[in-house]
Amino acid sequence: MLIITRKLGERIMIGDDIVVTLLEIKGSQARIGIEAPRDISIHRQEIFDRIRQENLNASRIHDEDLTQAATLWHGKKPE
Amino acid sequence: MKIATSRFGEIDICEDKIIHMPHGMLGFPDRRTFTLFQHKPDSPFYWFQSIDNPELAFVIVNPFLFKPDYDVDVAYALKDMSWDTDMEENALELYVVVNIPKGSPENMSANLIGPILINVEACQAVQMVLTDSEYSHKHPLVVQ
Repeated sequence: MLIITRKLGERIMIGDDIVVTLLEIKGSQARIGIEAPRDISIHRQEIFDRIRQENLNASRIHDEDLTQAATLWHGKKPE
Repeated sequence: MKIATSRFGEIDICEDKIIHMPHGMLGFPDRRTFTLFQHKPDSPFYWFQSIDNPELAFVIVNPFLFKPDYDVDVAYALKDMSWDTDMEENALELYVVVNIPKGSPENMSANLIGPILINVEACQAVQMVLTDSEYSHKHPLVVQ
């Protein structure tokens, strides 16, 4: 991992077209601005991890459990 | 064409029912082709079955059935997938992934931060990542 020290307002270039700016530091939090082309996706890692974990859990559902779930859905859903 | 599935045995699908996911589902980047079929007549749920892996299938549901005000900005996904932004609105279908903990279907939930957007005209789909949304990844589906 490349580790770089930056002061407030200073930037980091990644390739030709990604600019990362350190905008604000407050205690243990840093606000970071990222400018990148639209086709680069930028996500908070924990969001990414949550979706991946939900996908992993969701891939193990059995047909019987789903049939029960569908019955529950019809029984408990408010109209 | 016939495809093998671990849950339903061999099933026969039309080739125009194959949905391509160029990025796959998160956590399963190598599984790129799926097909969609309703769980049962009357059931709100659909199986999103992998064609490459017989064991891989997700349960998905139309989020507007239980959360009519669900609001997702699809602009980024359209651009990412190079889909025509002028396409007919009904070419797009939105689903969310359902989780049912084993043995406790009353605790089933839907992941509202990783919806699946399907372009039925292009037969393509993408799992979106809603980074700054207020939605839950475990939205309860049954009113207790």
